[in-house]
Amino acid sequence: MPNFQLMRRKFQTAGMTHAIFLSLPITLFAVFYVYPIVSTFNLSLHSWDGFSPTPKYVGLRNYVVLLNQSRFYHAVLNNISWLVFLLLGPTSLGLLLAALLDRGMKGESVFRVVFFLPFTIPAVAVAAIWRWMYEPTSGLLTTILQSVGLGGLAQNWLGDPSIVNFALMGSMLWWTTGFAFLVFFAGLRNIPVEYIEAARIEGATPWQVFWKVSFPLLWPSTIVVLGMAAVDAMRLFDIVWAMTNGGPAYASEVLATQMYDTAFGRFEMGRASAISVYLLVIAGLIIMPYIHQLAKRVQDAEAE
Amino acid sequence: MNTAVARRTALPFSILVVAAVIFAAPLVVAFLTSLKSPSEITRVIALPNELYFQNYAIAYDRMGRSFLNSIAITVPSVIFSLLVGAISGYPLAYMRGAGGRVVYFFLLTGMLVPFQIVQIPLFFLIRSLGLYDSIPGMWLVHTAYSVPFCTFFMRNFFASVPRSMYEAALIDGCTPAGYFWRLLLPASGSGLAALAIIQSRAIWNDLLFAITLTTSDKATPVTATIAGFASSLQVEYGPLMAATLISLLPVMVTYLLFQKAFVRGLLGGAGK
Repeated sequence: MPNFQLMRRKFQTAGMTHAIFLSLPITLFAVFYVYPIVSTFNLSLHSWDGFSPTPKYVGLRNYVVLLNQSRFYHAVLNNISWLVFLLLGPTSLGLLLAALLDRGMKGESVFRVVFFLPFTIPAVAVAAIWRWMYEPTSGLLTTILQSVGLGGLAQNWLGDPSIVNFALMGSMLWWTTGFAFLVFFAGLRNIPVEYIEAARIEGATPWQVFWKVSFPLLWPSTIVVLGMAAVDAMRLFDIVWAMTNGGPAYASEVLATQMYDTAFGRFEMGRASAISVYLLVIAGLIIMPYIHQLAKRVQDAEAE
Repeated sequence: MNTAVARRTALPFSILVVAAVIFAAPLVVAFLTSLKSPSEITRVIALPNELYFQNYAIAYDRMGRSFLNSIAITVPSVIFSLLVGAISGYPLAYMRGAGGRVVYFFLLTGMLVPFQIVQIPLFFLIRSLGLYDSIPGMWLVHTAYSVPFCTFFMRNFFASVPRSMYEAALIDGCTPAGYFWRLLLPASGSGLAALAIIQSRAIWNDLLFAITLTTSDKATPVTATIAGFASSLQVEYGPLMAATLISLLPVMVTYLLFQKAFVRGLLGGAGK
């Protein structure tokens, strides 16, 4: 016979234990997220070079000035193009590769490793490798075009403002598709074979089986991939900074690299803070529904 | 029958082969370039006439120290971030009611924060703590910024452990803390392994905190060194490719070795 009184006492100490456990992550969160965000917000209302003893209060001027700068709009637009690209590009290529591979294909493990490997590489390494691929005179891309007689199409891939963003996205596709691929691949493996078999027996073509049966069941994987893509698009920094530093002539600049240049290149800390507040607001608007969804799953699970 | 199957898979197979060649090409070219002497380097597709290991010597010379720094930063940071994730995920997986949900939501919002918003105050905070350009400073920063994702990951993992195990342990006289340390954590090897792999990639590959918070040989990790290497005016691609390949090796090897654990962890996280 269980001792109910003892058990109740145990569940009371559980509350204490939980509070003690949570105090460390909450402290870290308060010190490294809440405090710096509040402090950045405060700094964005000032003009400061990072050295002088007192920042000068300027109200909302930093925000207003940015709204009148085409350089700022250009970076916002670039972030939005990246968002669209990252939601669609690596996601659909990853899904395609995973769907093609999900048939007991020979060499499956080799394909899996080859598609996934680029994802493990540091952004700076991706940048170094692709700067070499895009080298205008003897890089791989130009060399291949020349060897098939299309040398005239070769461009200064990273040096031309109208091409640079596409070139960066190409390297990003190579880098991040592996993640989407693996999540979808694992998701497809999770679908019970009977569902697929049942559809086949009823005469569905592989195309129908995929879109009518597999794809809807992949929704949890899709949510993960899209959520990560949105977060990446807002945080995007390393690849751009290491490949073009936002150039040529700010053409490939995103908010994160513009903020870095403003803070640590021009030492306009207040202006830079205002850029990052804008970035946080944009990221919040786009990603908050996703976070809400993640947290809501808890509530649903508890309600069951 | 077999030929029918072969015909049906021929098109997907050839698409996969083409994709695999495109995916592998940059790494293969980088590897070949790293073994070529300066006079050969512009012949991109050709194999090297003779193996030129000098590139690796130059690369090692310029980044050997930072490679060690990266190891010294990554290994403890991964361990700390796992520990904090577990400590934070445990109560959130077991607490009932609004309190736990509010804390969970609050911590999760950290996942959407672009690090640029903390960058400037963080620089001054770390400097005032005397941790600027130091390896322990990087431990602290990486651990702190891992809290949201590690909490999310470990909470979900713990939630998949049957609750009856917890209740049975309490009836048998275990304290809630004792259950965590003696039963739950030792039984969570697969979740911790998957998270360790994800975290080692994130921390080893970090560039933003590295260039903001380190400056000298004392603490600069390999990513920051390569960024500096690559942005010098006259880029020498031979040594740069050698350095790049050295820098990507540890995480790549880790993933190849622990692929299964990683996929299992992803399934746990994504499948629910």
